[in-house]
Amino acid sequence: MIIAARNLSKFFDVKGVKNAKIRAVEDVNIEIKEGEIVGLVGESGSGKSTLGRLLIRLIEPTSGEILYNIPDKELDEFDIALKNKDESAIKKILDKYSITKLHGNELKKFRRNVGIVFQDPYSSLNPRLKIEDIIAEPIIETGYLKGNEAKERVYELLDEVQLPREFSFRYPHELSGGQRQRVALARGIATNPKLVILDEPTSALDVSIQAEILELLKDLREKYNISMLLITHNISVVSYMADRVFVMYAGKIMEKGTKNDIIKNPEHPYTQALISAVPQIKRTKMRIVLKGDPPNLINPPKGCRFHPRCPVALPTCGWTADEVKPTLDYLIDTKYFTEFTNANIEIKNDLELIANNVDINKLKEIINIEKENYKPLLSIKDIVQENGYVALKLYQYETPELIELENGREVECLLFSQKSKNS
Amino acid sequence: MSKNSNVKPDRFRELKLSLQVFFSNKSAVAGLIIFLFYLFDALILQFFPQILPFKHPYQLTPNYANPIPEPPSLKHPFGTTYPGIDLLNAIIKSIRLDFWLSLEIVIPGAIIGLVIGIIATYFGGWIDEVLMRITDIVFSIPYLVLAIAIGYVLGRTLQSMMIALILVWWPLYARYARSVTLETKELTFIEAARAAGTSNLKIMFKHILPNSLPPVFVQISLDLGTIMLTISALAFIGFLPAANLPELGYLTSLGYGYIQTAPWAMIIPGLFIVLFALAVNLMGDGFRDVIDPRRRSEL
Amino acid sequence: MESNQLKSSIAPIVKVEDFHLHYYTRRGVYKALNGVNLEIRKGEVLGIAGESGCGKSTLGRAIMGLIPRNAAVVDGRILINGKDYLKPLKEYYKNNKKFKPSKNADVLKKVNNEMSKIRGQEISMVFQEPMTTLNPLLQVGYQIAEVLLYHNPGLLASRRLSRSRAKKEDTKAIVKILKENGPNEKFEQYLKEKDIVGLEDQILAIWRRKDLHDLKKEQMIEKLCCEPISSFVKNYLERIEKENKLPNFSKIPIIGRIVKKELIKEGYKKASEFLGLLGIPNSDKIVYMYPHELSGGQRQRIVIATAMINSPQLVILDEPTSALDVTIQAQILELIKELKESINSSYMFISHDLSVLAEVSDRIAIMYAGQVVEVGNKDSIFDQPKHPYTQMLMEAIPTIEAHELKAIKGEVPDMRNPPKGCMFRDRCPYAMPICAEKRPSLIKIGEDHYVSCFLYEGDRL
Repeated sequence: MIIAARNLSKFFDVKGVKNAKIRAVEDVNIEIKEGEIVGLVGESGSGKSTLGRLLIRLIEPTSGEILYNIPDKELDEFDIALKNKDESAIKKILDKYSITKLHGNELKKFRRNVGIVFQDPYSSLNPRLKIEDIIAEPIIETGYLKGNEAKERVYELLDEVQLPREFSFRYPHELSGGQRQRVALARGIATNPKLVILDEPTSALDVSIQAEILELLKDLREKYNISMLLITHNISVVSYMADRVFVMYAGKIMEKGTKNDIIKNPEHPYTQALISAVPQIKRTKMRIVLKGDPPNLINPPKGCRFHPRCPVALPTCGWTADEVKPTLDYLIDTKYFTEFTNANIEIKNDLELIANNVDINKLKEIINIEKENYKPLLSIKDIVQENGYVALKLYQYETPELIELENGREVECLLFSQKSKNS
Repeated sequence: MSKNSNVKPDRFRELKLSLQVFFSNKSAVAGLIIFLFYLFDALILQFFPQILPFKHPYQLTPNYANPIPEPPSLKHPFGTTYPGIDLLNAIIKSIRLDFWLSLEIVIPGAIIGLVIGIIATYFGGWIDEVLMRITDIVFSIPYLVLAIAIGYVLGRTLQSMMIALILVWWPLYARYARSVTLETKELTFIEAARAAGTSNLKIMFKHILPNSLPPVFVQISLDLGTIMLTISALAFIGFLPAANLPELGYLTSLGYGYIQTAPWAMIIPGLFIVLFALAVNLMGDGFRDVIDPRRRSEL
Repeated sequence: MESNQLKSSIAPIVKVEDFHLHYYTRRGVYKALNGVNLEIRKGEVLGIAGESGCGKSTLGRAIMGLIPRNAAVVDGRILINGKDYLKPLKEYYKNNKKFKPSKNADVLKKVNNEMSKIRGQEISMVFQEPMTTLNPLLQVGYQIAEVLLYHNPGLLASRRLSRSRAKKEDTKAIVKILKENGPNEKFEQYLKEKDIVGLEDQILAIWRRKDLHDLKKEQMIEKLCCEPISSFVKNYLERIEKENKLPNFSKIPIIGRIVKKELIKEGYKKASEFLGLLGIPNSDKIVYMYPHELSGGQRQRIVIATAMINSPQLVILDEPTSALDVTIQAQILELIKELKESINSSYMFISHDLSVLAEVSDRIAIMYAGQVVEVGNKDSIFDQPKHPYTQMLMEAIPTIEAHELKAIKGEVPDMRNPPKGCMFRDRCPYAMPICAEKRPSLIKIGEDHYVSCFLYEGDRL
């Protein structure tokens, strides 16, 4: 594997609020093989851009490990060592392959092996520098080449991205958007890296230019066997380019697998909704429309982060009392308000609610009827009469782990975990 | 595959556009012309004083024989002021001093402010807090008062006045640099530079500084006027002890006692101060048009 | 007689005839629109597709009359319900040797005055970025109420007055009528007799809710009465109700403030009802929130509500979903599809994403370099694209079904110096000598399918 991340997390501080953190990426495992194009898809707030930057240490991780150029066998050993908490084995592999502790010249050497191309061709090139200086920057700053050799390399790179050599004397404002993105690409591969991160490389370009850039990327991969992490929200681009796909939501990986598996046969409910949401010229299947919005990352939903919007959520997917209360309040105020005129629901703790002035049997009946229409109600395990009030106890939620299915497919969803299947 | 096959790529296109924008603003051009007069005066007197018929090019030459201010006449086109100083003569000499003084205050002030502002904003965190609080404190003191205070501590010389004013002026540039750095810091070419392995120092001075210069340049041109007003004000109230110092404010103060009987003695030097401030303001407006991307494209 | 009736029933809301628009900038004169021919029919969704620089946004804005001062209307016209609002601009251009933005701006002022009467009422627009469309300092309910206040103050006044005129027995009787027969003529007649027609909206909004218990609905309807108003406010409201016009508030400062406040309050209520209709939950709380407290999808829904609350005849949507996540985009597209059913407006949907247009449009027009190169109903365009640009565009766009991508070589021409003949000639694999000499115009080559290309001269219908 060119790069592998284990339990990678990044939390950002919230300005002004003391202990609040934006949990942009949490406990993520990802690996990229040599010469493969991995598509990282997700919507805004999914953490995909942050993850891309973490992998090349453009941002420092809060916790977790990133390993570079590690043979598959040793990666497996590492995983086993993590599971068994074998400290010495872990340390041995980290010393050899980890990049999180690198600094100084070693860090510069590492930077030769990775590159990045950003989304906006207008702001990613310094308007005051000539094209040759822009492309040469990584070459010179990482110590890859010097002087005339560096200059030669710049010309080679311009040839590679099919721009005329005389462009090296021009300034960015003299080039079109598509041409600028080619320059950004030239800069990204300047030091002959093994891995290039592409953050929405074509989203700011016209469709007709997009195709050229994607072709160019495919050619470069053919020629130099460069691995690429293609970060995008555009599933069609991923469908065209990627070998494998990782799907992210709210800072976590929901599903990963080969491109065909993910797009033709998505398993995770989020992936299914995502694929069906893509506008199609000939729509074959009914579109799944998700309700609501992506969650707040400072206080993300418990258990599986997708459960509030999931059309097939289970009782143990992460429901908490504060999610159940609004549903109960709503039912009491509207449909059933004749039967519960003075009723009032309170939250006792994360997993328990208190209902005052209700008839326990009526409540049980209503919850039974409405369970299928309102997912939060599924999480109510017991309804017991206590002194003067009715207590509603919820199921303890589980946090799903990445489960391996066949063909390299992994899904993080309770629908697929063995325990859930048996309960 | 050139950008527009019909239009030849012209690397001076942007420069030509800048000139076009500037010269379409009539008042800015007027300001520039007036400014050029002052510049011309300062350059000639500084480097080629022999061209002008001045025996003492860097000092006022009073005529005690005829101390009372005389009105403008053929012999004295601007009249004279107390004690018998020909105003035209005096003003030509004063412009030189005031002009260089302004430059020598604004430029160092700008440099110090820029460096502090960029470093503070780029690093953020406690460095930012400390430097910015210092900036705020200095900034909040009225500049005239601070200048006087420093001057009295260091002694009332030209040098101490310059130091005082530089110390008073840099916070403005720190603030400017801060706002531009904040904006530029977020642009992705900075991230690209970090990904390329460029050191922080290099990023600040190769990437951020050049991009923050245009608005700062506008501010510098405006400040030249304000500084000259300040120097004149300080000189007027007698901050500088030197007599016969060719300085517009000092010159104005000389006429103060004769304001009713010989108003030209005060008005004319004062006019030259205000004229410079006005010219530089109009010119600065023109520069602002040049750097504002919207104003550049509109007709 | 019959054919005349047919003709009038399909008269288009908007007809763009050979429209030319040029932008005057320091860098040159950009010929943004070069003879656009288009019509938007009643009740249809017309998709406008094209890449950046093709002029689709400029066209949308021109129809709304949102023309910047340095843009000259050089030729042609845009008829909205038969009226050419931009005529003064064209006349200024044609009658003056030199184009001066400042003089153009004077003419624009008059044009804007005329058009502001229909903006928000007959025609409205939704832009790409909901955050900059909404005023961050005002509650969203206020922003919707403003649109109502400006165009339909009579409606708001009527609502308020009806609640003061209605007595308890009236609302009780209405509930009885609704329970027996639903909202039929007896219901409407009763309202007319008692002069409380303003209650109709409010009653129906409650009655049609699916999330309330019937008893609760009855309770709420019965409460719509007996709200007294002070007599001087009442007088003004009655006048507003009759004339559907706002008085000059600056002449009556104190009372004016009170009257305006009452009307805005009504506006909030109507906004909340309308948002509820659009499927936004908790709409009664949302109207009191500020734009930054809402998510991107919610904001865009507010913008759509603002555009549609006066049931305009035409809604122009300029890339309304491009700034949104794909799952939120799906919600908005479904919303637009539903609105299409319930409010019979026409829609002009501008997007660079052909798949999005495929989901919502009835007809699609493809634009290139300031012209419409092909237009037809959705199926004909996708099944049988005729214009070379349309064909190449479809091959260049990645779809979820991965297919071979073919880039379109070359670039859009420099619009300061567009080519003499066909705009697409330099990039067209089928270019013929005539393409360098003359510009093709739209010809009919199928049932409701037009293309602008010399390849099809022989197939002209």
